[in-house]
Amino acid sequence: MNHDNDKEYVLSVLARNNPGVLLRIAGLFSRRCYNILSIVAAQTENTEYSRILIVVSGDDRIVRQVDKQVSKLVDIKEVTVLNREEAVVREHLLLKVERNLQNSEKLVEIANVFHAGILNVQPDSMIMELTGDANTINSFIELYNPYNVLKILRTGAMAMMK
Amino acid sequence: MQLTGAQIIMECLLEQGVDTVFGYPGGAVLNIYDALYEYRNKINHIRTAHEQGAAHAADGYARSTGKTGVCIATSGPGATNLVTGIATAYMDSVPMVAITGNVSCDLLGLDSFQEVDITGITMPVTKHNYLVKNIEDLADTIRKAFLIAGTGRKGPVLVDIPKDVTAQKYEYTPQPPLPAPRGDFPWAERFEQALEMLRTSERPFIYTGGGVIAAEAYGELKKFAELLDAPVSSSLMCQGGYDQTGPRYIGMLGMHGTNTAALAIKNCDLLIAVGTRFSDRVLCNANLFARHCPIIQIEIDTAEFNKNIDVDLKMKGDAREILAHLNGMLSQRQHKLWMEEIAEWKALYPLVQESTSEEEVLPQEVLETLDRLTDSEAILVTEVGQHQMWTAQFYRFRTPRHFVSSGGLGTMGFGLGAAIGAQVANPGKRVINIAGDGSFHMNCNELSTAAQYNIPVIELVFNNQVLGMVRQWQKLFYGGRFSQTTLDRTTNYEMLAQAFGVKAFTISRRSEIEPVLKQALALREPVLINCHINPDVNVLPMVPAGGSVENPILEM
Ligand SMILES: Cc1ncc(C[n+]2csc(CCOP(=O)(O)OP(=O)(O)O)c2C)c(N)n1
Repeated sequence: MNHDNDKEYVLSVLARNNPGVLLRIAGLFSRRCYNILSIVAAQTENTEYSRILIVVSGDDRIVRQVDKQVSKLVDIKEVTVLNREEAVVREHLLLKVERNLQNSEKLVEIANVFHAGILNVQPDSMIMELTGDANTINSFIELYNPYNVLKILRTGAMAMMK
Repeated sequence: MQLTGAQIIMECLLEQGVDTVFGYPGGAVLNIYDALYEYRNKINHIRTAHEQGAAHAADGYARSTGKTGVCIATSGPGATNLVTGIATAYMDSVPMVAITGNVSCDLLGLDSFQEVDITGITMPVTKHNYLVKNIEDLADTIRKAFLIAGTGRKGPVLVDIPKDVTAQKYEYTPQPPLPAPRGDFPWAERFEQALEMLRTSERPFIYTGGGVIAAEAYGELKKFAELLDAPVSSSLMCQGGYDQTGPRYIGMLGMHGTNTAALAIKNCDLLIAVGTRFSDRVLCNANLFARHCPIIQIEIDTAEFNKNIDVDLKMKGDAREILAHLNGMLSQRQHKLWMEEIAEWKALYPLVQESTSEEEVLPQEVLETLDRLTDSEAILVTEVGQHQMWTAQFYRFRTPRHFVSSGGLGTMGFGLGAAIGAQVANPGKRVINIAGDGSFHMNCNELSTAAQYNIPVIELVFNNQVLGMVRQWQKLFYGGRFSQTTLDRTTNYEMLAQAFGVKAFTISRRSEIEPVLKQALALREPVLINCHINPDVNVLPMVPAGGSVENPILEM
């Protein structure tokens, strides 16, 4: 398979809130060897439905197949393929970094530059929160790297058509 | 009307017009079997020797009738025994509803005795499946299961029902089967485009798949082929979708297709593919398939478009409706030169094979004799292997639903169970299971089922003492290193059959072919024929792995 043309796509799937629906979708991906980069799922404004956002990478043809195979599942109401360029894409990050008397001001400074939230401060650690696109989150993490990052939690991407 | 869950299941089956189910009892389905006892005058239950046999029987019932087949199994091992049968139906888009029992709701998820997550296990091999935890949902779930199994691209649906749900009482209100939702129909401009392609083509070629049979499109297909004046080829799954005794039929396309079909695909200027998923067994090398001509694909499942190869015109919808619409628009075409060329190839590359020695029984000749003796009207079921391909090549299927075979999954052990299902569904027809000795050993237990219910299937075992198809590959691609394909079982087939209560015959010489087949066909009880054949007979033509479908090996 040619990976040069691979792009990232976000599949926005509206699914009936039936048990096992996430398993059905995830199972379909693994069975057909489509790689999931990230997946986010939660109930929508209508409690009968869940919105599932799946980031996949692949060429155009693979993504069209993914779209058609997912659409075929009985519990699926609608699948929209969002190109990264046409959508607002956001991720959420929690980052815990080591803190001491020497670096604590520096840590806060970086957070302020990114308008990140400070969720918790302990004598020896600090937890930050940031929402943004993947690039912003990557550079945020990079800036903290010299200070001994203890833990990172990152959600998959959420996306909405512009 | 207040009924128990088990009774509701029975009523729902009756709503759907189910008259026969195949299954095996057990603890978790005790209530269902108690209801089956109560409804025994309305619903016929066939107890197979193994749940796999029950699933294959439901499948054979469905393939030979077009109705949805039903099988029932208990929780745990009963349910898992169905899995191969369900997967077989899934790969060939056969409508089936599998009902499994499960442990009571309060025991679910506790690794209870005979508990298994069968909905989880069967997710990849069912069109959809359900776990019914509330009695209120039971009737509607079964109705939906039948609707899903039998509409659109058909397939198996599993309904898992905990034991307590089958015992609880609930109000039951009868309901007629749900109407099928209206499917898609191509835009008018697609038809215009198709018509233009059909009108300008000089060498059109129609290639048909199992979808023709599923959509009952054969009448329209016949008309279409005549209007277009084109040759017709088929996949393994479309045997009988077009009359194979007619001059237009040029045999199968693909790995074991005819040379005529190979030449036709090489020389055609338009390919019209109806109800087929372009499986790798047909494309062989996808990059070398139909390179020089545009392709029109008529298909109900959108996901099949551009999956294995790119096509030029996609027409999504029911094959019968689309062909009917095309027939209404298309005026009579004439392709005299092309059809003459086709006829020449057919004459030049026939599939006939006759033995010259009394000592050697050729399977091809046995099948041709069977074709003659049954007027090409029997239902032929197969296992998987060389015998399966010979059956498709040498029996001339004239009508649909007379060839029952596991194409997509290629399930050895499928045939005998499926034959039992097909025979139960078609009591007036002759049903013959063509088996290899390897496949026979996988499910010979079902001979006991045929014997017990006096289901008059003929089990014709092509006994070559080897796993012929695999051995053929070893011969071609592994320098004749026959690793584990020489069976040389000490089984005495005739005695085994008799032990099950089944009459047995033997064919070991050429002159015995016709008299033995006649004798077997004259009986109205299950029969086994042990037919000795040479292990070195090959299935030809054959496209080697990675090769082009245009260049099959004709001799080896
Ligand atoms: C359940 C299962 N196991 C293994 C295979 C692989 N397989 C395909 S054909 C074949 C040989 C079949 O031998 P036999 O039934 O004797 O038929 P023959 O080819 O000799 O006609 C095997 C082992 C299969 N298709 N199904």
